[in-house]
Amino acid sequence: MQDTEDMAAESGFEGEEPSFSDPEDFVDDIDEEELLGDVLKERPQEADGIDSVIVVDNVPQVGPERLEKLKTVIHKIFSKFGKITNEFYPEAEGKTKGYIFLEYTSPAQAAEAVKNADGYKLDKQHTFRVNLFTDFDKYMTICDEWETPEKQPFKDFGNLRHWLEDPDCRDQYSVIFEAGERTGIFSNDVKEPILTEERPRWTETYVRWSPKGTYLATFHQRGIALWGGEKFKQIQRFSHQGVQLIDFSPCERYMVTFSPLVDMKDDPQAIIIWDVLTGQKKRGFHCESSAHWPIFKWSHDGKFFARMTQDTLSIYETPSMGLLDKKSLKISGIKDFSWSPGDNIIAFWVPEDKDIPARVTLMQIPSRHEIRVRNLFNVVDCKLHWQKNGDYLCVKVDRTPRGAQGVVTNFEIFRMREKQVPVDVVEMKESIIAFAWEPNGSKFAVLHGESPRISVSFYHVKSNGKIELIKMFDKQQANSIFWSPQGQFLVLAGLRSMNGALAFVDTSDCTMMNIAEHYMASDVEWDPTGRYVVTSVSWWSHKVDNAFWLWTFQGRLLQKNNKDRFCQLLWRPRPATLLSQEQIKLIKKDLKRYAKIFEQKDRLSQSKASKELIDKRQTMMEDYRKYRAAAMQLYQEQRPLRLEIRGGVDTDELDSNVDDWEEETIEFFINEEIIPLGDLA
Amino acid sequence: NGHTGAVWCVDVDWDTKHVLTGSADNTCRLWDCQTGRQLALLKTSSAVRTCGFDFSGNIIMFSTDKQMGYQCYLNYFDLRDPQQIEENQPYVSVPCSESKITSAVWGPLGEFVIAGHENGEINQFSAKSGEVLRKVKEHTKQINDIQTSVDLTMVITASKDNTAKLFDSTSLEHIKTFKTERPVNSAAISPIMDHVRCTVAVGGGVNIVFAVFFHAAYEEEFGRVKGHFGPINCVAFHPDGKSYSSGGEDGYVRIHYFDPHYFEFEFEG
Repeated sequence: MQDTEDMAAESGFEGEEPSFSDPEDFVDDIDEEELLGDVLKERPQEADGIDSVIVVDNVPQVGPERLEKLKTVIHKIFSKFGKITNEFYPEAEGKTKGYIFLEYTSPAQAAEAVKNADGYKLDKQHTFRVNLFTDFDKYMTICDEWETPEKQPFKDFGNLRHWLEDPDCRDQYSVIFEAGERTGIFSNDVKEPILTEERPRWTETYVRWSPKGTYLATFHQRGIALWGGEKFKQIQRFSHQGVQLIDFSPCERYMVTFSPLVDMKDDPQAIIIWDVLTGQKKRGFHCESSAHWPIFKWSHDGKFFARMTQDTLSIYETPSMGLLDKKSLKISGIKDFSWSPGDNIIAFWVPEDKDIPARVTLMQIPSRHEIRVRNLFNVVDCKLHWQKNGDYLCVKVDRTPRGAQGVVTNFEIFRMREKQVPVDVVEMKESIIAFAWEPNGSKFAVLHGESPRISVSFYHVKSNGKIELIKMFDKQQANSIFWSPQGQFLVLAGLRSMNGALAFVDTSDCTMMNIAEHYMASDVEWDPTGRYVVTSVSWWSHKVDNAFWLWTFQGRLLQKNNKDRFCQLLWRPRPATLLSQEQIKLIKKDLKRYAKIFEQKDRLSQSKASKELIDKRQTMMEDYRKYRAAAMQLYQEQRPLRLEIRGGVDTDELDSNVDDWEEETIEFFINEEIIPLGDLA
Repeated sequence: NGHTGAVWCVDVDWDTKHVLTGSADNTCRLWDCQTGRQLALLKTSSAVRTCGFDFSGNIIMFSTDKQMGYQCYLNYFDLRDPQQIEENQPYVSVPCSESKITSAVWGPLGEFVIAGHENGEINQFSAKSGEVLRKVKEHTKQINDIQTSVDLTMVITASKDNTAKLFDSTSLEHIKTFKTERPVNSAAISPIMDHVRCTVAVGGGVNIVFAVFFHAAYEEEFGRVKGHFGPINCVAFHPDGKSYSSGGEDGYVRIHYFDPHYFEFEFEG
């Protein structure tokens, strides 16, 4: 190894070495913090000892005979966080008091112990409470003077569920148009949309409704704003620079935001989880790629959220935002997972690994008990499709069977409500374009084949375990399936490149109710009640004909709404019904009575509409007639002028000059045909 | 044969004696209808966009495009004065500096020309002096076509702003508006002027392949006719009102006859 002095000579440096010292009168104006901030952070702190001590409460009170065992257990648990240099188990009347003191070699280790061991459940009766010794000091010396906290003014947002009280049960939807410059909220009425609220530049990109419809979220460079109530007042603001994507917990208590801009090693800011009501940041996470949003998937009750990283499944619980059991699950090779929409069960799959076949696992949370494992062979890919209530799970398996070429698809149907979750297999002969479960039901629809030979098949999962093919229609122009949120009805759509072909199907008897078209349609959206369907041509995918059309669930076209540079329509979701199953049954029994009342109301409103329309038309016709009468009068007055201009020839009517017409009959050759008459003899 | 460039406009006089054509070869020519003989050639500095005979057939007008440094002009010639034709001297020439004329028709008695402009304006130019008698701006974008009703009392304008509008020829009063989702290339008024059944046909702009029919008084669309493979550039009703024809970018002229239902149906009202 060369000396540094020699190196300068070795490198062939010519001339004098430049001076590296500061000029004489140079005054340093940068402090150490700026220059060496990160190094200073690691400067050894004065260890005055007590910062490394923790106090553990709720420790079992034991007599001397069990003390050694206790100490071993405590040691095992707490040495995970650092080297324990000292321990003290205070005693009284022959037993340990129930709290102990442990000292680590550094305050950081003590902090780790507090962070991770606080709340540790040793057994049924003992859950450790861990604190820093210095904290006790802090809390003991709290000022005796009570300072009343500042009173926050009460922000009254009104009734956040106001839209549900519409006497005619109209659903709302948001519309973004003028290429994003204007956003409007409309109430859906059969006659025409009723404008509720419209604002310019309400959002900078697009909008999202919260899962129960309470809030409207708008996107801005600085973050997200939530609006709600009758007047759509701003309820909350969340500051997250450059936010691109958001997600809500199903209960609407939490919101997750993603921004690719801000993220520091120590302070993860790429993904932030917020408490919606208080506006507080609950926790931040790093995020490598937002390709499969939402990164965090929520359990249906909002109690857990989970995400998948390389070979790992991390499950967190609310409201603590901490890892369940304080650790992630190691699942080697995990490819995908999803929550059951009805229970706290996670389904995930891992591909083949040497001798171990690929498998799908159903795991119950929080017990982590594997309630079902299914082995799969020669798997290329799997997709998980849950039925809306969690009654069924469909795993679409693409396989390359041994000895055969090409990829074959099976549907493995898990029947979740039955003991031991039986699995049945449906083999598909063609490649799959789309798959969708009937919400609230036990049917599913599959689009399969390859353009132009696409077919749709309807299957029914029967209670006896058989999966029956109910019906198949071929020669379909469709690439997407849209079930009504209430089940039974669906729309098959050929969006975008398939020019907006639509088919409305009733799956109770698998009939095509109507076949129609919305040229170049890019989206199909059912209203939350399943009564109406909106098809639309978004300016984001097609620059002309931007409009949204309203249809009944049977495929009858009700309205065509052209909107200048229309971009997006989203129905406002409805929260779950408050009625019990019994109440719903009662209403269905009495449906005839209710139907009569509604029919009467509809007829009244329709005749009112007809009356309005008829009145309008009558007025328009009257005005037009008046105008034409006046024009005709002028025309007649000008007749002599016309005759004069055309030298006395009357050209006012087509037949004014019938005498002048010549009739000529012309014959011309069309065709020659030779017809044999057969033997005449 | 005759023009050496695209023919942009053609008109025939009321007696079908003469034919007038305007072309991108910078000429406007007069022809004898029966023999096809060219009777006159009027040179211009730029392409001739619109042309037409007045009610008497004696006065012709044509407008030239704004091109290559030349302005748009509206020119009037009196065919009874051979000197004007020989010396290529219109008796009135109106410059249109602001917005060029995109379509034009004669008014009822040959008193003025109704012109539609690139900026959506409509002007009445006097046939005597060339001054602007009346002007309106109801359209927000270029006027693609103007056609008259059979009795010349009304005109219908087709505009890039997705609407067609009905005006009174003399007062330029805006009477009706017909809305579509796309730029309108051409519009025509049915000669069956029965006020109950007056219909307006509209053929559209970029990519539209429908001819759309409106009830004139209610401004409501009641029918669409498919068939063309490309945009429809012009529509016209047969003088007896029993059929219409449409010409499209696809190179086809389609002639449609209305079925009995068209003549019978009634709007509630």
